[in-house]
Amino acid sequence: MSRQDAFAKAGRDAVQQNIQGTLDFFRQFPPFDAMEPAELGLLVENCVLRFYAQGESVISPADGPVEHLYIIKQGRVYGERSKGQDVGDETIFELGVGECFPMAALLGERATRTLHTADEDTFCFLLTKDAFVKLMSRSDTFRDFCVRGISSLLDQVNVQVQNRAAESLGSQISMDTPLSQLSSMREPVTCPASTPLHEAVQTMHEAQVGSIMIANELLQPQGIFTLRDLRRVIADPNTDLRQPMQQVMTPNPFSLSPDATAFDAALAMTERHIAHVCLVRDGKLVGMVSERDLFSLRRVDLVSLARTVRTAPSLEKLVQMRQDVKAMVERMIAHGASPEQVTRLITLLNDHTSCRIIELVLEKHGNPDIKFSWMVFGSEGRKEQTLHTDQDNGILFEAASIEEANAIRQKLLPIAREINVALDDCGFTLCRGNFMAGNAEFCLSRREWLVRYQKMMRDATAQNMQFAGVHFDLRCIWGPEQPCVELHRQVVAMVAADSVFQRVLAESALLNRPPLGGLFRNFTLSKKGAEKDSLDLKVKGLAPFVESMRVLALSQGIEATSTLERIRQLVGRGIIDRLDGDAYAEAYHFIQLIRMQQHHQQAAQGLTYSNLIYPDELNTLDRRILRESFRQAQRIQNSLALRYQL
Amino acid sequence: MSLLKWLFRRPEVNQQDQQRLQALPAAAMPGEQLLTQQRFVVVDLEATGLHTGRDKILSIGAVTVEHNGIAMGQQFERTLKRREVKVNEAVLIHQIAPSELATGIRPKTALLDFLEFVDDCPLVAFHAGFDQRLLQRELRDFFGYNFKHPFFDLAEVAPLLNPDHCMRQPRMDDWIDYFKLNVMQRHNAAADALATAELLLIFINQAQKQGILTLKQLDTALHNWRRRQGSSM
Repeated sequence: MSRQDAFAKAGRDAVQQNIQGTLDFFRQFPPFDAMEPAELGLLVENCVLRFYAQGESVISPADGPVEHLYIIKQGRVYGERSKGQDVGDETIFELGVGECFPMAALLGERATRTLHTADEDTFCFLLTKDAFVKLMSRSDTFRDFCVRGISSLLDQVNVQVQNRAAESLGSQISMDTPLSQLSSMREPVTCPASTPLHEAVQTMHEAQVGSIMIANELLQPQGIFTLRDLRRVIADPNTDLRQPMQQVMTPNPFSLSPDATAFDAALAMTERHIAHVCLVRDGKLVGMVSERDLFSLRRVDLVSLARTVRTAPSLEKLVQMRQDVKAMVERMIAHGASPEQVTRLITLLNDHTSCRIIELVLEKHGNPDIKFSWMVFGSEGRKEQTLHTDQDNGILFEAASIEEANAIRQKLLPIAREINVALDDCGFTLCRGNFMAGNAEFCLSRREWLVRYQKMMRDATAQNMQFAGVHFDLRCIWGPEQPCVELHRQVVAMVAADSVFQRVLAESALLNRPPLGGLFRNFTLSKKGAEKDSLDLKVKGLAPFVESMRVLALSQGIEATSTLERIRQLVGRGIIDRLDGDAYAEAYHFIQLIRMQQHHQQAAQGLTYSNLIYPDELNTLDRRILRESFRQAQRIQNSLALRYQL
Repeated sequence: MSLLKWLFRRPEVNQQDQQRLQALPAAAMPGEQLLTQQRFVVVDLEATGLHTGRDKILSIGAVTVEHNGIAMGQQFERTLKRREVKVNEAVLIHQIAPSELATGIRPKTALLDFLEFVDDCPLVAFHAGFDQRLLQRELRDFFGYNFKHPFFDLAEVAPLLNPDHCMRQPRMDDWIDYFKLNVMQRHNAAADALATAELLLIFINQAQKQGILTLKQLDTALHNWRRRQGSSM
């Protein structure tokens, strides 16, 4: 080695040694934690560390095209979008240790549009543009992060969640697996419709299957016959074993495309109380999945759970079964179900539980022989329930006169109260506002309901709508559905036509400000008592989305109640920009995910469910995305304020 | 050897080292150079002890501050080869293993590398007097070289710019806490130099706000500060 080389090498070694601490620093934060050491070395060697005293500008629109990527080593920076054409978009946000800015301006080779100011004494690493470009070309992780920003981190979170949950279960089957890829998907056993019953049963026996598909020569499915059907047929002493399958099969079997997911199949089975789904592509039978295929690895399965709930012999049994529901939900999360899937599933199981409770109470009381519908509001009405839920329900019945209505009410109220108490026993906490069917004000005829809604809208204030707003998300879960659908349709039409009430609703949606504000703190947290340093995910995080989407959807006459569905339809109608809609949905999704994970952990530790979260206890990635999600909540509120000039 | 001859002896320097010595620029004295543009070499020495008259440099860590920033890729660190050093307290504190010292590079080369790295720039350290005297003595012993570069002592700059600090004889760690700096690994020459450099960035920023813009102004302010300290004692 020449002297020059030795000199260069000694220098390099020294630098390697010196930057070790800085490397370790970067490794604490995404996306750097997923980058190769050589890539990080390139990053650090090309960094300059600078200091910005509190209140000093770090980079501003006046500085011209951006020349560096800034990474915060210590301190905090807040960004202010310069006002101007996009007033509604004007936001203030904060960046903490490990965060990078101004990415978009650097990639766009332009000046930043945000004024970045040091919120406290701050050190930033500045990476030159040349090195930034070089790093992008070398590191896929870094490029992905630069281009996709926070979304790429969301993927990481999802993987993280699944891994964490899968660890405890030792299984990696995803609920998103297409049915065609399930190893257990089988070639269906088929026979023509003319086959005699005993022959078909023999075929099933030989093939050792629990079901047989009846199909024509083009393999178009015509019916299904299962062991359950066989029991039914044999139970009839007059059964002729030579009769053709046509007469005993269940016609028009439920089918899905092989591209549908395991979750779709599980949900369909649960909804329809069926154990088999045939897979059909282009009208042709290509396969079959049974509940056993989907749940062969699990102790409690979704379908049989739903069935057991639906046929539970007593209230005590239902109470016991709540544990199984919880276990089921945990498995869902473990298998990578999205929050939307999980909340739909919980709602489904809760619907079954509620229905069974109503039936059991009615059995006990002797049927009052009055037709009524059981309606649910709020999260249950939106099909967005989590395990931590309280009751919001009401009864709707038909009555010709006030007298008749009063008479029916007197008969129904004791029953309704008992149902409310039974629901409480099953974990649906009694509503603090007494918005329950057992309250005479929520046990009404259709006409009375309409009057009640009219009064609610007339007397609405932003404050009372914070609580009463949930009544605009309604759904029937038991009894005749049509009257509820009619009522809902009328209410939606009334709101769509009433701009004054919309404005009040919008105002109410702005009452719960996402906890970013306080301008220069990362999160604004509760300051006192047991709730010190915590924030309420439901009230501060989800409510802004739910309430904003409710106003926007109702004003457009959209009848969908689920928040994500409302977003989709609003995007479809051009009320919300597609990119914004995606960002809102992602943010809503993430807050819900954090909330469910928290409930999951609380359950595991035997704690009661709570929506309070302590941001300091989250990992860096979660905390950052949570803050980003709250920013989206802030944006939707800002645009609502602009639209209604609040 | 007579006493006189011993007093005026010249150390032996080989030709190659001699050439490198002669190529070194003279130190720039504090003048109208702007603090925000000046290149500073922040140095941290680890030595066998605190006696600048006889203790030996074990390692040199240095970081530069230039144009108000620390270039992370331009750092300096050399561990010197010292066979005769015994494992003592200082070695333990700095966690430099004797084996590391044995494999370090030849002290003369390390020192020359350092001088070249310094160029004509002022040096900065916390309790800089120690580093200054130690370097001066070692350079005189090895090369008969008179190291005249100015040193700025952050132990003086810090209270000058932050007269309301309310600490009694604050140490480096106290200032690190005072400014809430996150230091990655203390007592490693490079990490210590980096922490010192971060302090320097803060002080340059503060100096601007107090109207101290040039090296000369800083030098004068420090001079007056020392006088005030003396008179108040």
